[in-house]
Amino acid sequence: MTNRRIGVYICHCGGNISDYVDVDRVRGAIKDEAGVVVAKTAMFTCSDATQQEMVQDINEQKLDGLVVASCSPKLHLFTFREVAKRARLNPYQYTQVNIREQCSWTHTDDKEGATKKAVRLIRAGIARTNLTEPLDPIKIDTVPKVLVVGAGIAGLRAAIGLADLGMSVFLIEKSRDVGGWVKSFGKMYPHNKTGKKIIEQLVNEIKKRENITLFTNTELVEKSGSIGNFNIKIRVDDQNHNEINVNVGSIITATGFDSYRPETGEFGYGLNGVVTLPEFKELLDNSDGNLIYNGKEIKNIVYIYCVGSRQDSGVENAKRYCSRYCCNAAVHSSIVAFEKKPKIHQFHLFRDIRTYGKFELLYNRSREKGSVYLKYDENEPPTVETDLSGKLRVTVRDILTFGEEITVQADLVVLVTGMVPAKNDKLIDALKLPLGRDGFFNEIHPKLRPVETVVDGVFICGACQGPKNSSESVASALAAVTQSASILKKGYVELEPLIASVNPELCSWCDECVNSCPYSAIERGQYQGQEVAVVNKAVCKGCGGCAPLCPKDAINLKGYTDSQIRSMIDAFLKETF
Amino acid sequence: MALVNPSFIDEVKRSDEFNASACMNCGVCSAICPMGIELLPRKLFRYVLLGIGEKVLNNIEAIYSCLLCKMCEVNCPAKVHIAENVRSLRYVINKKVFKI
Ligand code: SF4
Ligand code: SF4
Ligand code: SF4
Ligand code: SF4
Ligand code: SF4
Repeated sequence: MTNRRIGVYICHCGGNISDYVDVDRVRGAIKDEAGVVVAKTAMFTCSDATQQEMVQDINEQKLDGLVVASCSPKLHLFTFREVAKRARLNPYQYTQVNIREQCSWTHTDDKEGATKKAVRLIRAGIARTNLTEPLDPIKIDTVPKVLVVGAGIAGLRAAIGLADLGMSVFLIEKSRDVGGWVKSFGKMYPHNKTGKKIIEQLVNEIKKRENITLFTNTELVEKSGSIGNFNIKIRVDDQNHNEINVNVGSIITATGFDSYRPETGEFGYGLNGVVTLPEFKELLDNSDGNLIYNGKEIKNIVYIYCVGSRQDSGVENAKRYCSRYCCNAAVHSSIVAFEKKPKIHQFHLFRDIRTYGKFELLYNRSREKGSVYLKYDENEPPTVETDLSGKLRVTVRDILTFGEEITVQADLVVLVTGMVPAKNDKLIDALKLPLGRDGFFNEIHPKLRPVETVVDGVFICGACQGPKNSSESVASALAAVTQSASILKKGYVELEPLIASVNPELCSWCDECVNSCPYSAIERGQYQGQEVAVVNKAVCKGCGGCAPLCPKDAINLKGYTDSQIRSMIDAFLKETF
Repeated sequence: MALVNPSFIDEVKRSDEFNASACMNCGVCSAICPMGIELLPRKLFRYVLLGIGEKVLNNIEAIYSCLLCKMCEVNCPAKVHIAENVRSLRYVINKKVFKI
């Protein structure tokens, strides 16, 4: 049947597993499975002592397969791969079976059932292991160059960081000027420098570095290749519409955001004196001394928060997220307004004030200086209208004044607008980056892999991945720098070999698989004069999407071949005891 | 419906003593007040901050029944100078309403 020699280790996980799974009975049930020559239980399989024992068993018993039935591979996949490597067993001939999250933790009410399920799961793991073959990581040489898309504060800072680590950088910017939103900001918190000054500083640093090439009026039009070696076509929008090809090892996307533009009539937008937050900031920055709007002195300002953010899911294309920066920006603007004109009256109509961290001090300062905050309920938003004399009247039911309906006559109504994703259809199409529910670029994991995307070698940073303030944008830009440099500095990357492969003898190039692959990993190739499908090893994620669709059964997934899956199903179906 | 009257705010604030902007509406003061004055000080300060003069002037009796005992003040988590605020408000009312 099989001449494999497999070692199986079943973990108590303290009592995490053994309190609900009878590990000794499980061991008894699987010890005579085909191929099994060692079957043991251990208090902690991940402990140094048990790891040592495994290494010893592998060597002494000449094991050619390893099954560890313990916790989730999310926790210890790499631990046991290392154990295999130390014993000179190919790490892809080990299988981890999860009998903690999938058995003991989920079936605390049914010990007998949990025990039987553990037997089935481990048998399937053994069956798969019986059919494993040694695999080697895919090694790809990398080019020490990076493309940074977008020259706002994040892109500029990323370019400098990369240059200082010895990378060559192509920095491309769609518009005529660099600096994005920040270049037009006045004094910023907490350093009190103007946005303009900060951008000037960054641009000076860029100029000092010879290994940064900056292109303005330039867009990315095409991307091919894969991590370590992308071929990029960029188009410079000058008289000749120059197209340039560049070759880079990784790509950092820092394309920023757009400011929400309210609909006409939304909180009075369109009425004379109703402005958005960016418009108000511009007005503040351009006025010294008196605050004037349309030739009239501003004495009373009403702010309405959460405009274009935290919208009701019933609204079409609702922006349901909190834009995170607008509370801070509005509160800060009100302080600047007091500085320009101490006698001004400012009323803030909010749903919740989200001035987190240091910004709480700003909120306090704004109140001390005389800002009054009124809380409205999302179901009863304030209304803005003009009265007969042409004055703006804002009416709100203020929860903090015990539900009193209050009317304020305002010279200016500031709609505190949030961030929306920038329009980037061409770029999204070229990079094949997936968007999240809110339309921003999606990282793999917001905490654990915050700047990586599903496309290996393509990173995102700044407000293109969701609302961020400028310091958060810079922090994420530097994270993307580190990630890029860490793959490019080594000169090569190693990728998982658990990917799809096409048997060219069977393939008839029907291109079913091409359309099914979410990562565009399948291309047209040649085999003995015939057209066949070829998997780009560096792009394939091993998701398995293509394999079942192939009408010729020509695709197999390494590590999860059809025969392995079938043998696992058979193993599941055996009598447990 | 109440109309905000910014000039009333300025009038009260002119004393510079009046400082209720730190108030976070927690209600500790009202719960603790031996006079059980429902209006004082939380609601009252809110009306003052918003310049809703009419609500303030409708409640002159309540404003004058405060003992200035500062029970509320020592317990206020936001360190609002409650008694001092009541005093400066009375000063404004004395001038405005009682003309003294
Ligand atoms: S930051 Fe403030 S104003 Fe902006 S969406 Fe969030 S709660 Fe609303
Ligand atoms: S689906 Fe199968 S037969 Fe069709 S192109 Fe892909 S590998 Fe070839
Ligand atoms: S396994 Fe997934 S990523 Fe790889 S070629 Fe098939 S569908 Fe594409
Ligand atoms: S105890 Fe202080 S903070 Fe709380 S409601 Fe009274 S005055 Fe305001
Ligand atoms: S100072 Fe006035 S409001 Fe405060 S507890 Fe004493 S009586 Fe009540």
